[in-house]
Amino acid sequence: MPAPPPATLIDAFARSPSPMVITDARAPDNPVAWANAAFLRATGYEAEEIVGRNCRMLQGPDTDQATVARIRAAIAVAEPISVELLNYRKDGSTFWNAMTITPVSDADGLAFYYAAQADMTHVHQLEVTMRGTNDELERLVDARTHALTAALEQKTALLHEVDHRVKNNLQVISSLMLLKARRTPEGEARDALQGMAERIGALSTAHRLLYSEGDCAHFNLGDFASEFLADMNAGLDPERHRIEADVEPIAVAAAMAAPLALLIHELTANALRHAFPDAREGRVLISARRTESGMHLTIRDDGIGLSAAPPNPAGFGRNLVEMVVRQMRGTIAWTEAGPGTTVEIDIPLQFAS
Amino acid sequence: MGTGTADATLRILVVEDEALIALELECLLDDLGHVTVGIAGTSAEAIALGRATAPDVAFVDIHLVDGPTGIEVARALSEDRRITVVFMTANAKRIPPDFAGAIGVIAKPYSERVVASTLHYVADRRAGGGAAACPDGFLAAPG
Repeated sequence: MPAPPPATLIDAFARSPSPMVITDARAPDNPVAWANAAFLRATGYEAEEIVGRNCRMLQGPDTDQATVARIRAAIAVAEPISVELLNYRKDGSTFWNAMTITPVSDADGLAFYYAAQADMTHVHQLEVTMRGTNDELERLVDARTHALTAALEQKTALLHEVDHRVKNNLQVISSLMLLKARRTPEGEARDALQGMAERIGALSTAHRLLYSEGDCAHFNLGDFASEFLADMNAGLDPERHRIEADVEPIAVAAAMAAPLALLIHELTANALRHAFPDAREGRVLISARRTESGMHLTIRDDGIGLSAAPPNPAGFGRNLVEMVVRQMRGTIAWTEAGPGTTVEIDIPLQFAS
Repeated sequence: MGTGTADATLRILVVEDEALIALELECLLDDLGHVTVGIAGTSAEAIALGRATAPDVAFVDIHLVDGPTGIEVARALSEDRRITVVFMTANAKRIPPDFAGAIGVIAKPYSERVVASTLHYVADRRAGGGAAACPDGFLAAPG
């Protein structure tokens, strides 16, 4: 046996609240040579039950074998090591033991291993609790995300359903008008029905273009103009009358789709109806461009001009146009273009920033 | 466009549950010089009429009296290689990626012009002409 440490030091170690143990490095299997009272309290053993035995008696089935191997490797080469290990008390209960094992040498070489320990069970419990709280939070976030996704899907389905109904109803209304027109003798009543069917057609074109792309909030005036033009020109004698368009792809709010469609239809149909009497040939040009505060719309024809056209007291078309322009807070000017008529409209728009 | 074969009279089956739309479409087809061989409002009726009449073209709405069954109708009718199926619906989002055998879709609300130009295109395709441009307002199936 090496010489024992000075008595005062032993006394200090013996009364320390930190569990401490010293093993005899020169005895076979490195047995416990001394343990303080704190160590005995922590492990539940009596001194005589522990002295002379290897510390592995504190290990149990859930002790991490990789950590044990690290301790063994450090002891084999007499290196200090700090680890945390699950240890078992005499009564079988477990505690997390954080230990620092230090080799101690005397004049003859390696003599003892000194291990200072601390019970880290509360820290481990905290970690477990934190992990549990995190899992719970993640579960809550998942549940909320799931609920929001479901709500969004429901809204999207609802929007599709309403969109489908609006489009189908427009088709029914248009069919109804056309059916009645077919059964009405040629004349004013039939013309009126066909005129209404054509207006509904313009509204239908606008609606068909709404929601067809991903963007539900906007309406592309350029797309509308090309479809509208194709529909209108299909009903004209291409040798005599032609509608042309020069419309920028302006994105306007979806709410303006219907009034703009009606406006463009009305002015174009008006021009075709009044500008070219007596088989006069001509064309109508629709143009639209963005301005600083909105859009500038022009409908120009090369017909007989405003003053030459017979006065039209019923004037539903012109009335409708002025109403719609007012609704959109715009301004309208009708001018003699010599030849023909030019209608210029300015409409304020709110552009998405 | 405008070849002699493309202006041939087509025999057309209308699969549509809205009576007014079906009736007006029948009038329009008549104006265009085609023949409506039948109108069906349910999927069973549509498939039975399709087998009995073997039309050249079937216009198929997706929502029928018995639900969104137009897709099954399109699949069943297009098995007969003589029938060209065209969807005609306000619910184009429901069409599966393979178009269930249909060659394309006319979106509702449609204009008379789109119906006319689509039939012109279909007639041209059936006559073996590949030159006819796909009419606008008609969306062709991919592939």
